[in-house]
Amino acid sequence: MTTENDHRSDAAHSGPAPLPSSGQVGGPTAPGTRRTGATEPAHGSSSLRVGQIGLLEVIIAAVVVAVVITGATTSRFFSLDNARAILASAATVGITAVGATLIMIVGSAVSLAIAQTATVAAMVFLSTQQLGLGVAIVLAVLAGLGLTAVQGAAVGYWSANPIVLTIASGFAVGGLATWISGGSTIYPKVKAYSSLNATPLGVPVAVYVLAGVALVAQWVLRRTTAGRQMYLIGENSAAARAAGLPVGRVTAVAWALFGVCIAVSGIFLASFNMSATSSLSGTLTLDATAAVLVGGTAIAGGKGSALRTLCGVVLIALISDLLLLRGFSTGQQLLVKGILVLFVVIVVHLSSSRGRR
Amino acid sequence: MRRLLTRPETLVPAVSLVVVVAIFICAPPVTGADLTRFDVYNALQGFAPLGLLTLGLGITMIAGEFDLSVVGTYALGGMVAVETGQSSALLGVAAAVAVGAAIGAIQGGLIAKLKIPSLPVTLATYIALLGLTSALSGGLSKTYTNPGATFWVDKTVVTVFSPRSLITLAAFVAAALVLGLTKIGRELRAIGGDRRASRVAGVRVDRNLVGLFTVSGTLAALAGALLSYSYASANPDPGLQPLVLAVVAALLGGVSLTGGRGLPFGLLAGALSVALLAQVAAITSLPDYATQLLYAGLLVVVLGIDAPGLRQAIDRLLARSRARTSLLADASNQAGSVSDGTTGLS
Repeated sequence: MTTENDHRSDAAHSGPAPLPSSGQVGGPTAPGTRRTGATEPAHGSSSLRVGQIGLLEVIIAAVVVAVVITGATTSRFFSLDNARAILASAATVGITAVGATLIMIVGSAVSLAIAQTATVAAMVFLSTQQLGLGVAIVLAVLAGLGLTAVQGAAVGYWSANPIVLTIASGFAVGGLATWISGGSTIYPKVKAYSSLNATPLGVPVAVYVLAGVALVAQWVLRRTTAGRQMYLIGENSAAARAAGLPVGRVTAVAWALFGVCIAVSGIFLASFNMSATSSLSGTLTLDATAAVLVGGTAIAGGKGSALRTLCGVVLIALISDLLLLRGFSTGQQLLVKGILVLFVVIVVHLSSSRGRR
Repeated sequence: MRRLLTRPETLVPAVSLVVVVAIFICAPPVTGADLTRFDVYNALQGFAPLGLLTLGLGITMIAGEFDLSVVGTYALGGMVAVETGQSSALLGVAAAVAVGAAIGAIQGGLIAKLKIPSLPVTLATYIALLGLTSALSGGLSKTYTNPGATFWVDKTVVTVFSPRSLITLAAFVAAALVLGLTKIGRELRAIGGDRRASRVAGVRVDRNLVGLFTVSGTLAALAGALLSYSYASANPDPGLQPLVLAVVAALLGGVSLTGGRGLPFGLLAGALSVALLAQVAAITSLPDYATQLLYAGLLVVVLGIDAPGLRQAIDRLLARSRARTSLLADASNQAGSVSDGTTGLS
């Protein structure tokens, strides 16, 4: 909980203040709404804000307590095997979700082309197995990076609408993938990928990669110039542009990193399934977006963190696992997940001091 | 008249419909097939659910919102209609529409009263509705055993229509009348254009938003109900494809994603364009990937029309090539964009 708390207050500081000091509890002061470009007086006086964050924490604590109590009364929930299962199920979606956090922070909302891009990366990875694991990984990552960075450049430099753009890219990428693969399944002859399915210390490699990716993303967001600029651009892109920030470049960088994450997810999906078809990635798009939202990243941008997304991923995996153990159907699990996302979106919105309209 | 035609909300749908109809008429002879009445009928059958989804999504987009949940309501509507309408088809449709309206009203209420952006709310609702639909049916498709209703919704009326496509057309006419003859149409565009200003000007933003989402939920549930009657089964997970096609149709219909622009007849033209294109792909047995690339190309065109940054870049390029004093023109352009930025700050 401590880390989560830290990062929540971090996020509260992630407004335009150049050097957020840790003791201060004030909302971002300058930003107006992105939609109207006008500003609303910062009504987040510090006491009010503390009260609201308190509410948010109380609610999150309640959710955690509810999960723990339900877990304690469910047989086999608190076991090492189950913990491993939860982590394993969270890993693939989690890696993409961490990347999606970056583009949501920079203000590009969501990408609807995630599944197709992951599939392409998976196909590239499997069809280059004979070149060795390292080369195959590099080529797959380059494919994901290239496809996604182009979209990021269009969003950043031309202010193209990300939703339409990613729908179009989804069609284009999916269509090209089917065209080139001839619609057939790719079964590699050489199985260089098998080392990715290993489970050192009983935990799949993907989980370690997820932890690494989340830490790197967190470092980029908190400690690099580009990362700090992502928050500023997401908060108010017009102001960021006027202030001379390289909006186009930073947006493209965020998307490029996102593309790397998608490709890594695709690589693990391919290794796990040992083959790639055009429907490989299934519900990755929605799962990743849901995880980012449950992590409390604001869809309008400017707020959020990679570690919070990690918490969102684990929370969703925990709850799904709990429901599975209690014998609920896939549909019921999905229903609970949707309600959870809705709930978090509302709570995060209410606890934020920004008036959006 | 000329001004009317050059506005994007009429120009884009008019051009797309003309182009697509031309393709529709020309494609069969090129590939050696005959264009039959049945092709037109089939295109309209595809238009029936797509049109309702496009209308629902499109009117929320005019008001600057984005109702992603329509495809969830669509799935749930189909399932509810099949579950409750085995004996009486009308009862099934009524139940589906009531459920859709209730879901829309709740979402609209949340979005309006709490001032939450609609994308995350409707995304969450979409996931929840998909789960609910799947939980209702145990994850399987549900068969509809009322051949009378299945026959009725698809029977041929006036050679190319069916009750399903006529209901969709009627919905468009009703929407055009309501938005054209009452102040609601102007209010929606005002809400989409500048919400704060329209609130100040006395537009009842909240009430309009709740109504809007209620209508879009109703239309989506109706589309799902009629489609599952036609297929004689309800599918718990239609995927994102219906939504994506509805977005394509709405954008071809001249709606902008930033809101404040669009007309019901434009949406009608957009939905017809997409339905005709799908039928062309079916007639010419175009491979699936080619259809996908086609939609991607269409969207890129729309995106080019809609992307402010790209337009500025093109304008700048044109200005540079046109004016001899290219340096001056560019400088004033830049000065303009900087002062725009500062007004956004103040």
